Amino acid sequence: MPDFLVISAELAWPLAVLLAWLAGEFIHRWTKLPRISVYGLVGFLCAQAFPDLFATESSSPVIVLANVAFGLILFELGYRVNLNWLRVNPWVAVSGLAEAFATFAVVYLIASAWGMDTMPSLLLASLAMSTSPAGVLRVVNEQRSSGQVTERVLHLVAMNCVLAVLTFKVIVGFWVFNTSGSLTQAISLSAIELVASALLGAVCGMLVPAVLRHLGNLAREGTLAFALVVVILVAITHAYDLSPVLATLAFGLTARHRRVAFTRTQRNFGAIGELLTILLFVFAVSTLDWNNVVNGGMLAFVLLIARFIVKTAGVAAFSQLSGIPWRKGLATGMALAPMSVFVVLLLEQTKNSGVVFIDELAAVAAMTVFMEVLGPIITQRALIWARETPKEE
Amino acid sequence: MALGPFTASTPLTMGVELELQLVSFSDYDLTASSPDLLHLLEQKPFPGHVTPEITESMIEINSDIHTRHTELLAQLHEVRDTLVRAGEKLNIGICGGGTHPFQKWVERRIFEKPRFKEVSSLYGYLAKQFTVFGQHVHIGTGNGDDALYLLHSLSRYLPHFIALSASSPFVQGGDTLFNSARLNSVFAFPMSGRAPFLLSWDEFADKFFAKMEHTGVIKSMKDFYWDIRPKPEYGTIELRVCDTPLTVERAAALAAYLQALCAYLLDRKEEPPAEDDYLVYNYNRFQACRFGLDGVIVHPKTYESLSLREDILTTLRKMDPYAERLGGSAAVNHLMQVTHVGSDAQYLRDQFASSGSVEGIVDAAVQRFRGRR
Repeated sequence: MPDFLVISAELAWPLAVLLAWLAGEFIHRWTKLPRISVYGLVGFLCAQAFPDLFATESSSPVIVLANVAFGLILFELGYRVNLNWLRVNPWVAVSGLAEAFATFAVVYLIASAWGMDTMPSLLLASLAMSTSPAGVLRVVNEQRSSGQVTERVLHLVAMNCVLAVLTFKVIVGFWVFNTSGSLTQAISLSAIELVASALLGAVCGMLVPAVLRHLGNLAREGTLAFALVVVILVAITHAYDLSPVLATLAFGLTARHRRVAFTRTQRNFGAIGELLTILLFVFAVSTLDWNNVVNGGMLAFVLLIARFIVKTAGVAAFSQLSGIPWRKGLATGMALAPMSVFVVLLLEQTKNSGVVFIDELAAVAAMTVFMEVLGPIITQRALIWARETPKEE
Repeated sequence: MALGPFTASTPLTMGVELELQLVSFSDYDLTASSPDLLHLLEQKPFPGHVTPEITESMIEINSDIHTRHTELLAQLHEVRDTLVRAGEKLNIGICGGGTHPFQKWVERRIFEKPRFKEVSSLYGYLAKQFTVFGQHVHIGTGNGDDALYLLHSLSRYLPHFIALSASSPFVQGGDTLFNSARLNSVFAFPMSGRAPFLLSWDEFADKFFAKMEHTGVIKSMKDFYWDIRPKPEYGTIELRVCDTPLTVERAAALAAYLQALCAYLLDRKEEPPAEDDYLVYNYNRFQACRFGLDGVIVHPKTYESLSLREDILTTLRKMDPYAERLGGSAAVNHLMQVTHVGSDAQYLRDQFASSGSVEGIVDAAVQRFRGRR
C-alpha cells in the first residue's frame, strides 16, 4: 500500500492536468465556455477530494512550473502593451488609474465595515485592484478577438497588475515597519524588491533583442530565446525573493519597445505554453482551503459584486472621452473581471518572505475560487457582446 | 434592371479611392478595427469620404472630384493626417501596401453589411482572401463612347500602372517573387480581367449588359471586377489595377499620370484600339505583376518587345505637355524618380532585409504612410 501511495502522489499532478485538459476540451465543445474556467474547476475539485496528494511546498517543482507559466503569460502581455498609446490617448491611462484606485477604496471600505482589521483590509483592497493577466490573455487568444475592447483590456490588465503589486508591496512594507520597527527591513521588502525586479526585467528586455539581432533571422530564435529568458528570470526572482510579476512584465515591455520590429512571438508560446497554463490554473485553486472559502464566502460575494461594478463604471465613465462608444466602454470594464491566478501567486510569494496573511484573508480564497471559474466566462461574454470575436461564417 | 444612361461628367476630372490596412500596434498583424475607427471618425467632419470595406481590417477613403494634381494631393494629405490622428487615439496603425505581408486570411472578419455578406456567401474563402488593398482612379468622361474608347486604349498602358504602384511582394509571411501579388487574388474572381471589346455605349448597355443580366450571373456593374470598368452613374472610367501605394504622394501622382494619359489618348493621335490588342494583354499584365519595372512587355500593335521601365519613361516624357497643361508636372517628375529608385515593392523588400522580419515591413509601411521615412 505505501508504494501505491507514493506512486499516486507522483502521478497526481500529471493526472490532474490530463483530466483538466480533457474536461476543458469536452466542456468547451459542448458549451463554448472558456477552457481555463474548466481547468480551475477541475483543480479545485481534485485538491478538495485528495488534499494530501495536491499539497505543495514552496520549493515544489509544481510551484516553479506555475511561476514559469505565469511568467510566459506576463511576458506576452508586456510584449503587447504599447506605452506610447497611453501617452497619445491619456484617457485610457486615466480610466485605468480611476478604476484601480476606486476599486481599492471601495473594497477597503466594505472590508472595514465588515469588521476586518485594517491591515488585511488594505491588502485585500490592493489585491482586488488586480486583474488576472492569465485569465484575460487566454480568453483573448482563445476567442481570437480583436478591436478596442481587446486592446484596452490588455493595456488595463497590465496597468492593474503593476498598480496592485506596487500597492500590495507598499502595504507589506508598512506592515513590516509597524511590527518590526525596522525601516531598513521594510524598505528591503518593498521598494528594493520592486526596483530590483523591474530593473532585472528591463535589462533582459534590452539584452535579448540585442543578442537576437546578431543572430539574424529571428522567426524561431525569438520565441525560444524569450521563453528561455522568462524561465531564467523566474528562477532568479524565486531564488532572491524578488517579484516575478514585475520582472517578466518589464521584460516583455522593454523587449517590445527596444526592438525595431521583431517577429511575432508565438501566441501562448505554442503547445508547451498551453500545457503550462493548464498546470497553472489547476495549481492556483489547489492551494485554497475549502474552509476559508466557506468562511469568506459572503464577504467575497459582496466584494466581487462591488469590484465588478466599480471597474465597469470606472472604465465606462471615460469611454467617450477616450474615443469609444459607451457599449464598448462597459464591455471593457466587464472584461476586467478575472482576478484569480495573480492573487494566488502574489500571496504564495509573500508567504515565502515570512509574511503570512492567507488565513486572515479568507475572503480572498473565496473570491479566487469564484473568479477562477466565473472571471474568464465574464471576459468571454464581454468580448462577444462587444462584437470583437469572429462569428461562424 | 437595364443599365442606365451614361452620366456625362466634366472630362479629365479625377478622383481617387484608396483601400487602407488597419494594423495592430501590438503585433503588427491586421486588426478587425474598422467599426471602432469609423465610429471615432463620425464624431468630427472628415475631409473626404471614408467607408467600410469587405473585411473589418480595411477601410476605403475617397477623395472629392479634382481637376488638378495639387488639389488632389492637398486633400489626400488632409485625409491622411486625420486618419493617422484617429488611428493613434485607438492604437491602430494605418498604412498602404497592396497586401499585408503576413496576415492569415482565415482570421479575417467580414464587415456587417448585406452586400459584403452576400459576396462572402457566394465566393466563400475568396471573399476573405480579398483582404488586399488597391487604389482605384476615376477619370471623368463626357459620354459613354469616350469612356469605352479610353478604357480599351488604356489597356496597352495598364502594365505601367501595375509596375509603378506595385507594393505587394509578400503574402502569408513569404516573398511571392511578384512585385504585385495582389492582382493574383483579384484574378480568382470569375468576373475579373478585361472588359469585352465594345466601343459603343449603346451596344455595351443594351446588348452586353442586358444579356449578362439575363443570365442571372450579374445584377449591377459592381459585380464586374475588371481591371478597368466604366462607371456610368459617375460618368467615369475606373482604373483598378493599382496596389495602394505606401504614400499619398504616389497615389496622387498615379492619378495625375492617368489624367494626362487620358488627355493624350482623347486627342486620338494613336492608332485606335482593336480587339487584337488583347492578344498580349494577359502576358503584359503578368510581366508587370511579376517583375515590376524590370518586366518586358510586348507592344500590342507592333509585337516588339519593350523594357517596361523604358516604355514608362518614354510615355512620361510624351505626357510632359499634357501634364503641364493640367497642372501635373510634379506628378510626372515623381514617377520619373520611381523608375530610377525603384517601386514600393522594392522598398518593402529592402525593409525586410534590414529589419529581418515581416513585422519590420509593416512598421516601415506605417511610418512611410505618415510621411516620416
